[in-house]
Order: sequence, then structure tokens, then C-alpha cells
Amino acid sequence: MSGISGLKFYPDMFDNVEPFTASAMTERMTFSQMCIESASRALKDTDINPASSDVVFVFSTTKGEDLRLWEPSVAVARHFGNNNQPVIVSNACISGVNAQIMASRLLTAGMYKTAVVIGCDVLSKFIVSGFQSLKALSADKCLPFDKNRQGLNLGEAAACMVLSTISGNSESKCWLYEAGSIHNDANHISGPSRTAEGSYRCLLDCVKGIDTTDIAFVSVHGTGTAYNDEMESIALHRAGLDSKPVVALKCYYGHTLGAAGVLETIISMQSVENGEIPTALGYNEQGTTYKCLLPTSNTKVNGNSFIKVLSGFGGCNAAVRWALR
Amino acid sequence: MEELKLQLKKQIIEALNLLDITPDDIDNSAPLFNEGLGLDSIDALEIVMILDKNYGIKFADKEQSKLALKSIDTLAEYVTEHRTK
Amino acid sequence: MSKISVEISGKECTVNGEKLNCSETGAEVLMELYRKYVGDYPKFYKMDSLSRLGFIASELVLQKDAELNGTTRFESNENRKIILANNNASLNTDLKYSGTIGKDNYYPSPSLFVYTLPNIITGEIAIRNKYYGESCFLVLENMEQLRNTLQTIELESDALVGWVEYNGDDDYNCTMWIEKH
Repeated sequence: MSGISGLKFYPDMFDNVEPFTASAMTERMTFSQMCIESASRALKDTDINPASSDVVFVFSTTKGEDLRLWEPSVAVARHFGNNNQPVIVSNACISGVNAQIMASRLLTAGMYKTAVVIGCDVLSKFIVSGFQSLKALSADKCLPFDKNRQGLNLGEAAACMVLSTISGNSESKCWLYEAGSIHNDANHISGPSRTAEGSYRCLLDCVKGIDTTDIAFVSVHGTGTAYNDEMESIALHRAGLDSKPVVALKCYYGHTLGAAGVLETIISMQSVENGEIPTALGYNEQGTTYKCLLPTSNTKVNGNSFIKVLSGFGGCNAAVRWALR
Repeated sequence: MEELKLQLKKQIIEALNLLDITPDDIDNSAPLFNEGLGLDSIDALEIVMILDKNYGIKFADKEQSKLALKSIDTLAEYVTEHRTK
Repeated sequence: MSKISVEISGKECTVNGEKLNCSETGAEVLMELYRKYVGDYPKFYKMDSLSRLGFIASELVLQKDAELNGTTRFESNENRKIILANNNASLNTDLKYSGTIGKDNYYPSPSLFVYTLPNIITGEIAIRNKYYGESCFLVLENMEQLRNTLQTIELESDALVGWVEYNGDDDYNCTMWIEKH
């Protein structure tokens, strides 16, 4: 049960921030429009009534709409007739995975039966200029984990997952949320830890006490910046996950910020269902201390589960493990 | 030159909110980063930005800015040579 | 086990209901509290207003906690969680950063930009205290919703929890406490 909308890639937009003017923005969708579009598609094939008091809307975003997060999120929930207070996770780039963890807690605690998890961030002059000021952007397509990586690309998306508590014995297979973890690096507010402290702890929590044979791959953050990818290679190594294929999706559509965790979890689910992971576009040469297994062609994988891991400013890291059972 | 050095110190203190530091606390030849003032990579980017804003200086690459930002002495020298405003 | 709560606003600051002496008003309250009760962490000056507010509150909570438990201030507690919330995210700092990307005055400030995320304060507190546990920032309607949401989190370790809102130098408030289940 998932829907993706507004998935766009602007290969040239970071060449120069100046042309990114208000007039160029007028035809683009707003945060709330993208959220509504995405959630409508996700809900369409379900028998869930979003207006029910058993349903909660959980948002994942960093900048919302016109820098407001609460009001547009409430408006989206109200659009679906839902009168519950939404929960908005604004935990930098890990928000999308964090929102899944938050949703699972709300459901496990019995507060709601269904959570509509929407990850969305709209590109703006604000975001592009900021990443540019941090010299974090690559002029070319980003190359996660590659030796020649120059930085990240920005993208935008809205993605939606509908999480429900299982009622009775389902005959057909479904995706189960099996583990989730959040840790801080306690190191730096904008630079990843050299020992990958937080990310490593998240990965460890996701494999604690299980046979990892069933894990088909790890879907990493893979921004294409020098420090992030290096840190992730260390985290994978420390957690004993070096032998797992690594999926880095941002080479396709850039870093979608608050949407990334939801979007990349959905794509990972599809990869497990297909038994195949997509090639790491442009990946050529190992560019991290520890070798990571990035596929250089679409590659068959075995296993019914995967780990999705993210890291973000503020030193935060999050990981979830999902399984098709 | 001394006047420019003082001006640069004031601008750095203001831009980086180094509220407990006065221009006199900054040694002209001491390293600005790591052991010196304890500035980090974001601070470096902030200084690069104020050099653009105040003096119209644009660095070609990271190495160039790294050399210029070694100390107040090197910075003043670079600004004198390359300023466009 | 002791229940500790700190409240700070532009007018006053209380620790467990006890008012601290503050002669300043507005944003200066935070500077005064820093100088009087912390003083040894110059990174404080580089923080944005939201982070300064949350940082000071965390220092006062943790100082009181150590005092009441008879422990040292930096007692190791590496799994402690930090869960903070407000209604306006980082709006105050967002607007300041927006001021650096004007059409005719385009000099985007990297040091302001990194603070245009409300969760940065959770990172600042984690760094200061070496907390590797969960750190999370939520945007919610009010403190009641925060308390309700916290009920869902299994706290195998304790958590530093708070409502941290900075709308302007004359309009801010913070309530922070240690949640132990």
C-alpha cells in the first residue's frame, strides 16, 4: 500500500541558484497538494476510511509549506476528513524513517489502528541556497560511494505508506515492520561521526538476535558527499553487514530530504518483491575505506527483508527493518 | 594593513558570534582553525561568505581558500591582493 | 527518584518551581543564565536562539538532577533519549536565514542554514552530554499532545523531554524535564 507522486529530477537546478525564481515556481505543486496527491493514491486501493478516528496522519518534513509545518499538515489531514491531531516528525534527513518508527509506536500502543505516513519536502530557493552555501552540492549527477563523488543532488518528492495493525490471520503475504532504531552521534551538528557511532548502533539494533541471511540488502542514505558515504561504510563494517548488497538510490532522483526515508523504503519493498535491486548509476570505483557491495547492473537478490538506514544534521541516525511475511 | 586586520577580526567575531572574544584575543599569526580559535568547517564557509559579501572575493577552489584562511596575517594579505570592493 | 522540571520564558526562569534571579529580559535572559549557571561552553554563543533556549534548559535540568541524586553533573548516561517538540519548528531562524538570500542581497549564511532545522538542539544537547540514545524533534499542537505521544515510547532508558518554542526575543518559552518510566 504505497503511492509516490511528484517524483522529479532537475539535473541542472544546482548549476546556478539565481534562475530558480518565483516565476519558475508557479506551476509547481505545493507541499499540501503533493501530500494529498500521494496519500490519495496510497489510500485508493485500501478499504481504509481516512476520516475514521482510528486513523492518524504522521508527516515527515523539514520545511513544510512556506516554512510552516503544523498548519499545512493539519489541512492535509482535514482534506481527508480526519480530525485527529497529526504527528509531524521534523528530524532533519532521518524524518522519513523516524516517522515510520513513530507510526509503529502509535499503533503498537493502541492509540490508533492505522497510520498514514506521508514524507514530503518541496524544493525551494531556501533549501537549494542553503546546501549550496554548505558546498554540499555536486555539479554533476551524484555518485554515492564512488571515488569521484563530488556531493549531493537535491530532488523533491512526496511518498506515502499506510501502516495498519494486522487484524486476524491474513492469508496473503504482507509487509511487517520488524525493528526500528534511532541514535545520535553525539559528535557534530553538521558532520557525520568518524566512527559512525549513531548509524552503527542503529544497524546493530536492526540485526540484534536475528539470522541475517533473510536480509536481502541494506538501503543506505548514500548522499554522495565525501563524509556521509565514508561514515556509512564504517557503520556497515562495524555492524558486520559488509557482505550485504548496498542499495543507494539517490543517484536516480537526488536527496528528497523529508521524503527520502518513506520513498526509499517503498522502493526497497518493491526491490524485495522483484527479487532484484537497481544498479548504482555511475558507480565505478570504490571510494570508501571499507568495501561496499554496490551493484553495477540490476542484480538478483535473495531474502524477504531489508534494512533502510538514514543519517541527518543534528547528528541523528535512524534505521528500520521490514520483512515480507 | 593593521586597520584591515582589525576590521577582519571584527567581522569574523560578529559573523561567528564569538561573543566572549575581542579582537585583541586573536593573534595575527595564530591558526584560525583547530588548535587556534577552534573554528570548524562551517565557520570556514561562513568566513568565505563574508569575504565575498564585504570584499567581493571569490575563491576558485578549496585549496586556495584554505591557504588564505590560515591566519589573520594570510587573510589580510589575500584580501589586499584580491579585493574587488 | 526525583521529578525535575525547568521553565524558562522571556520574563523568568524556574527550576522545580523555584525562581532563579534574573535581572535581564528578552533574549538577554538566556545570556544571563548562561553566564551565571554554565559559563564554560563557548559553543553556546554560536547557537541560534532556539538552541540556546533548549541548551540552557537542559543544563539547568541536568544540574538539578545531579544535585538531587548526589551524582556528578556529567554522569555517564549514554543511552539517554532526547525528545523535544514545539509548534513552529525553527521558524524564527528560518526567517533570519531567509534574510540572507534576498534578491539584491544574496549571501546565504551557512552557519545560519545549519540551524534551520529544529532538531539541531537535540544534537547540541547530545554532543554536550555524550548521549548516543534516540534524538527526535516533533512538531505538535501543544504540550498535552507531546505528553500523550510520549506514552507510546517505551523508555528502557530515561529521556530528556521538553517543549521548546522560540517565536521571537520577547516571545519564547521552554518546559523541560526528565521522563522516567
